[in-house]
Amino acid sequence: MGLLQPLLRSLETGSVYALAALGIILVWRTSRVMHFAQGSMGMFSGTAVAFVLNRTGAPLWASVLVGAVVAIFLGFAVDVAVIRRLRRATTVGKEIVTLGLIMVFLGLAPILFGTEPMLLPKAIPDGAITIGDAYLSYNGLLNICLGVAIAATLFVVLQKTKIGLAIRATASDDSTARLMGIPTRSVTMLAWATAGVLGMLAAVMIAPATTVTPTFMNTVQVTALFACVLGGFQTFYGPVLGAYLIAVAGNYLQLYVSSVWGEQLLYLLILLFLLVRPNGLVGKTYLKKV
Amino acid sequence: MSDVLRVEGLSISFGGLKALDDLSFSVADTEVFGLIGPNGAGKTTVFNCITQFYRPDAGAVWFAPGAERLDRAGHHGSDAIDLVGEPVHRVIRYGLVRTFQNVEIIPELSVLDNVLIGGHVDFKASMLSQMLRLPGARKEEAQYREKAREALSFLSIDHLADQIAGGQPYGVRKRLEMARTLMAEPRLIILDEPAAGLNESETEQLADTIRQIRDRFGCSVLLVEHDMGLVMNVCDRICAISFGKFLALGTPEEIQRDVRVHEAYLGERDDD
Amino acid sequence: MSDAPTTAARLARNPHVGFVVFGALLMLLPVLASSGLLMTSTLMTLGFTLIYAIVAMGLNLLLGYSGLISLGTAGFMGLGAYLAAYVQDDLGLGFWVAVLAALVIPTVIGVLVGVVSLRVRSIYLAIATLTISEILLKTFEQAEWFTHGTAGKQSRYPVLFGVQADRAVVFLIIVVALVLVMMLTHNIVHGQLGRALHAMRASEVAAQAMGVNVLKYKLFAFAVATMYAGLAGALYLFFLKSSYPSTWNLFLSLNVVAMVVVGGLRSIYGTVVGAFVIFAVPELVLKRLPVIGDVSGLPYIFSGVLIIVAIMFFPQGLRGLWDIGRGLLARRRRPAEPVETVRDEVGVR
Repeated sequence: MGLLQPLLRSLETGSVYALAALGIILVWRTSRVMHFAQGSMGMFSGTAVAFVLNRTGAPLWASVLVGAVVAIFLGFAVDVAVIRRLRRATTVGKEIVTLGLIMVFLGLAPILFGTEPMLLPKAIPDGAITIGDAYLSYNGLLNICLGVAIAATLFVVLQKTKIGLAIRATASDDSTARLMGIPTRSVTMLAWATAGVLGMLAAVMIAPATTVTPTFMNTVQVTALFACVLGGFQTFYGPVLGAYLIAVAGNYLQLYVSSVWGEQLLYLLILLFLLVRPNGLVGKTYLKKV
Repeated sequence: MSDVLRVEGLSISFGGLKALDDLSFSVADTEVFGLIGPNGAGKTTVFNCITQFYRPDAGAVWFAPGAERLDRAGHHGSDAIDLVGEPVHRVIRYGLVRTFQNVEIIPELSVLDNVLIGGHVDFKASMLSQMLRLPGARKEEAQYREKAREALSFLSIDHLADQIAGGQPYGVRKRLEMARTLMAEPRLIILDEPAAGLNESETEQLADTIRQIRDRFGCSVLLVEHDMGLVMNVCDRICAISFGKFLALGTPEEIQRDVRVHEAYLGERDDD
Repeated sequence: MSDAPTTAARLARNPHVGFVVFGALLMLLPVLASSGLLMTSTLMTLGFTLIYAIVAMGLNLLLGYSGLISLGTAGFMGLGAYLAAYVQDDLGLGFWVAVLAALVIPTVIGVLVGVVSLRVRSIYLAIATLTISEILLKTFEQAEWFTHGTAGKQSRYPVLFGVQADRAVVFLIIVVALVLVMMLTHNIVHGQLGRALHAMRASEVAAQAMGVNVLKYKLFAFAVATMYAGLAGALYLFFLKSSYPSTWNLFLSLNVVAMVVVGGLRSIYGTVVGAFVIFAVPELVLKRLPVIGDVSGLPYIFSGVLIIVAIMFFPQGLRGLWDIGRGLLARRRRPAEPVETVRDEVGVR
């Protein structure tokens, strides 16, 4: 097998991690909450997609639309009913709440959608392109394109539009943003909903490779958090970069070092990397005001 | 008279903006030294650079902690050390201790326990012997409790020792913070706006307290203060700064007559 | 201080005496079980509750004083369990060496993880421990020589001082361990160590100015939390006589967080109550309810909702409710004196 093949495959998983990581960083930058429930919320709406598809026989795109509605609704609900009411709680308190959310969604999913593991088909069932001696399924190509396109769209929205400006202003200093008349509440609501949709898409993209169970997003959650650590929490593009890097490095480690321990080895390497660059690849050092 | 603190060429900038620009001054032994300047002059930044919360871009902070402390820290031969680069939590070991503008106490603990925090670095009992309450640790605890009571009684709040600190009025909390600095057997106490929030008679009392601490403990005091009455009353010498730059140095009378100082403050009056 | 208190009064005020009395009462439970007043399954549930109380005590120290979250609790606890089994059964070194290994090795690993992750930002500890837990879980599944893989490691009751223990004896060992942990935790938080931890919680900046090495005390709290987890893991193994990788998943770690938050931060007895609410109530009550008792996700939702409700409405947990209740009673007796309840929030800023 050539060197290109694993690269193509890791770009596909990288897109999954990138979307999940984007959700985490959006929430972090606007609400200052480490979103530990990104994976489980994605799992929940992803399971909803599988449920609709399996029960009603609706096509995948329609099921995904339903999933998006579920994800947006959950995002709004979590922000309005819980996160927003935690203004007086500390960062740690908010993080613990997202830990509580993990358990709620984990418990709710089997109650609402049944305990049977479900399957989700690929968007494009078969066909592949070949590049030299490497091949890439059409579905993989679609996933890569989707990941890159969504990330790119988000960056354009963040940089060029009024909404993006509002998000960036909230991210840099939410009390100043509020004073300047930016509706920070709508901004955080939007961030939570977007994170929900990104999580759902990540779930739908990874699902064909596994079965839809309450824990099928755990690896994505851990990897996405690590993508943020590696890329740094100060920019929106850092985590995306981190996600692809982790996917590529992880894949090569699994191939050439150890198929069982490759991923774990990578995690350890990232922890060690923190010793050298504590703020991540594109992180800037910041000064604590006293 | 030798210097306890010598600040040399201190510069620091935040995001391209120079907060301190080549600032130098020194504080003599047993001197009460005032640092004044209009709002935004960089007074608190000076404090944070001295106590190493900020690492200055350039310059040195020479501190003379006394021969015994130097020996303990492994600096033999020299009579002063450059604090720049020392970890924040080590600074107090040299006898340099500060208070905070917005009084940092632990509300859930008793007044006495709060004072005991000031003696943190002097505790020698190991973590293990404290966890197991070995006799050595208990004896040490009792000994420092006694010392803390003395510090409290020096500031006339020893009757409140066992009360919860969080419920105390502002004036008591300020005294509590002062008592805490005494636990460190200070060579230099840095007071960050100690008169803020105090009424006139309390401020006068504060002036007495500052002098008493200086006389009793033989230490120096570096004072940042907005209340000009207090500064002029209590300080031996005053350094005025403006926009991070040195402006003037002298006795209170000299500073009061200084034209540059007047200009700096007059420029501020409109927007203050 | 002037009047000399009687010995009895002094004893009653000594918290360590309280812990011992508490332990003595717990030791009656196996007696109740052997006389048929308590079902064996209930005794088992209570035994596990006490084991979780030990883990939660460690996390409470970490979360309550340093505002740090560890998501590696399950991993470290599992490591303690497998180490205990490996040392006792495979190496044949006996109970005490097994416990020692379960105490020391997870703590060493924990400290290494802490050193790497605590330098940057507090939240990195949560992410790093989450990862370490995943790595440990993978190890439990893969390292057959050590853990017997997914088939599960089987063990037996330990031999103590030449005597073969049984379930009741292991229960007593658990109680003794819990009482010791309560005493140790009490000593840690009352004294110079505790003051440093308190200072750090109130303001890291001020604590540093007072000479508290914040990194060192965070590491200390994390090391103690890991040590308690290792101990609890060993006790778990001796009580159940087996260990499966699937036990040591993220949700156990989350449940321990829930125990701390629900029981009340910085409260020793509250932690025990928290462990009871989060672990024993679903086992003893929820699962026996008609209809909804069979719903598989219910305990998760129970814990999750309790966490969220506690943080939103009762930041002091059950301990806080207890204080408020006592305050109301005191007010009724002495209406003149206003009761002040300190309402602070989780952890540090």
